[in-house]
Amino acid sequence: MSSTLTDILVGGISRGAMYALVALGYTMVYGVLGMINFAHGEIFMIGMFSCVFAMGVFSLAWGNLIVLNLTLGIVVAMIISAGYGYANERIAYRRLRKAHVLAPLTSAIGISTFLQYFIFLTVSRDAVNFPRFYSDYLTNHHLKLGPVDFSYLQIMILGLTFVIMCALFYLINHTRLGIALRATAQDQLMASLVGVPVNKIIAFTFILGSALAAIAGVMYSMYNDTLIFNSGYRIGLKAFTAAILGGIGNVPGAVLGALIIGLTEALTTYGFGSEWDDVSTFAMLMLVLLLRPRGLLGERVANKV
Amino acid sequence: MRKLLLYLLPALVIAASFVVAGCGKGGGDSKSIKIGLAGVLTGGDGQIGASMLNGSQIAIDEWNAKGGVLGKPIEPVVINDEGDPQKAVTAAQTLIDDGVVAVIGHFNSGCTIPASNLYNDAKIVEISPGSTNPTYTDRGLPYAFRICGRDDQQGAVIAKFLRGQQKIAKIAILNDKTTYGAGLAKVVADNFTAQGGQVVASQGVDANDLDFRADISVAQGAGAQALVWGGMYKGGGPLCVQMREAGLNVPFVSDDGCQDQKFVDTVGNNAKDVYVSFGKDYTSTPAAQAFIQAYKAKYKSDVGSYSIYGYDAAQVLLTAIQKAGTTDAEKVAAVLKGQPFDTIQGQIEFDSKGDLKVADYVIWTVKDGKLQELAPAP
Repeated sequence: MSSTLTDILVGGISRGAMYALVALGYTMVYGVLGMINFAHGEIFMIGMFSCVFAMGVFSLAWGNLIVLNLTLGIVVAMIISAGYGYANERIAYRRLRKAHVLAPLTSAIGISTFLQYFIFLTVSRDAVNFPRFYSDYLTNHHLKLGPVDFSYLQIMILGLTFVIMCALFYLINHTRLGIALRATAQDQLMASLVGVPVNKIIAFTFILGSALAAIAGVMYSMYNDTLIFNSGYRIGLKAFTAAILGGIGNVPGAVLGALIIGLTEALTTYGFGSEWDDVSTFAMLMLVLLLRPRGLLGERVANKV
Repeated sequence: MRKLLLYLLPALVIAASFVVAGCGKGGGDSKSIKIGLAGVLTGGDGQIGASMLNGSQIAIDEWNAKGGVLGKPIEPVVINDEGDPQKAVTAAQTLIDDGVVAVIGHFNSGCTIPASNLYNDAKIVEISPGSTNPTYTDRGLPYAFRICGRDDQQGAVIAKFLRGQQKIAKIAILNDKTTYGAGLAKVVADNFTAQGGQVVASQGVDANDLDFRADISVAQGAGAQALVWGGMYKGGGPLCVQMREAGLNVPFVSDDGCQDQKFVDTVGNNAKDVYVSFGKDYTSTPAAQAFIQAYKAKYKSDVGSYSIYGYDAAQVLLTAIQKAGTTDAEKVAAVLKGQPFDTIQGQIEFDSKGDLKVADYVIWTVKDGKLQELAPAP
């Protein structure tokens, strides 16, 4: 038996890691465009529905091959989510890029509501169960390191988050694409003058962020057994908070902020009860912003990293 | 041309909506009797709520086939409150404006309670097939009825089951922070402590979070010998799964909110030591067979847990209207309170508050992938 506190910490870190995958999308879009994409939570939700749908199709096509179907399911979810993310950018944001700062924000809130109720009306009005056939192995096997007890799924979530964060960091700081990204973030006009295809770079940011949200969606629905049309809302809010906490626009900052929020929620439940978890999370956010208005690690990919 | 269209189109839409609304209002007033069917049809509780109102619909179909009530056809007006208290108030107002003479609904206690104020002010009889929170009828509203038990009765049955039958000393209670879930959790806690038990953890959680691991660890650490969930199946299912994953293999006990096949589907093969309180199983009684067949024929699915209650509510309401000879709420309420009614549940009687005189809570368990009444203790 592991102790209560270590269980709480493991649960908190795992939850934080899922927030982190979503927060990365918020932070990248903000870093490049300076706008907050409120529809990101819905992209996350579309990712989880796509994966379950795709796995259903695959198991009809060639049978129940767990690893293959799950992997392909995640890939399909990433592609579909990326498609939605790109379409959002193309339809709802691109033309508003030079408009007042509130215009794309409002457009994003509209898209968010639209997508929620689109799924609600066309796919499922009720909660759908994640097919347990695929997740049972991961959730029922545990790795015990002394008092610490991880399920395979928790290890997978943590591992994915860490790898993706490092890959993103590398991409932004050590590749030509990353240079173009940072140039676009600093000054779109200047970047386009030196030959950076600004529109493509921005579209790429949305596609990448949306694909990451899809991974988070699949992990989340596996971890919590359920998919529902409005599940993007709350996690979107938490991930957005995490991105601000870590310094919006900052990749390691988003992960740090998300882990802190996950742990705070878990520890609050341990110390005061889960009724207080939102109170403590947002109280901490206020405190951090008062002391460090630009977040823990500072704002913006380009200026800071 | 394009600009003209731009102005014309909204104008047309608005005009059309007036025409449609006008038809809806003018057409039915004298020729038919409108009954509101209100409840949650979408979202996490959508399945259980919709199957409840489908049950009422079957009863209305039967009456219409026999020529309606008071010589007029019955026109059901279905409205979705989305399980949201604020939307329930809007829904209630919509029904009142639409001219319904009585309402069957709502489902969630948190919706039924605020909506019942409006119905009572408008002098409309309301029968809820599924709202179990005591507050609904405890406020002395003259036209509020329910055709199911109350949470103080239900909570007492759960507490007695845990303490008396399972001999459990320490329980943890979680609820989904709704009127219904939190109310039930409190009743269970009060009853359980009154019987000498100890509540080691009691928390409200946001059911939309769906990650209950921290609370489960706390319950585990506090030595809970059973976990009680006060709330609906959308949270109860994942909670039960996660608690088994965490190795907390103690009884999981919930309430009528988890009395749905969807709950069993979520729990899957973790369904050991899972108990749910609910009314007796009427689906196997002879009285229910005709209804169940009609339901399957019309909706191509099995009846939900509250379908029979929805059916009974409509039957009782229409019988009372027929007997009163009028749709006047005062007279219908007097008939409802004045005599027994034959329903699928057996013969039922309302007390002066509008509650059933006898509630029939029993404990169910999951067996062979289905919820079944637990055989009484020897």
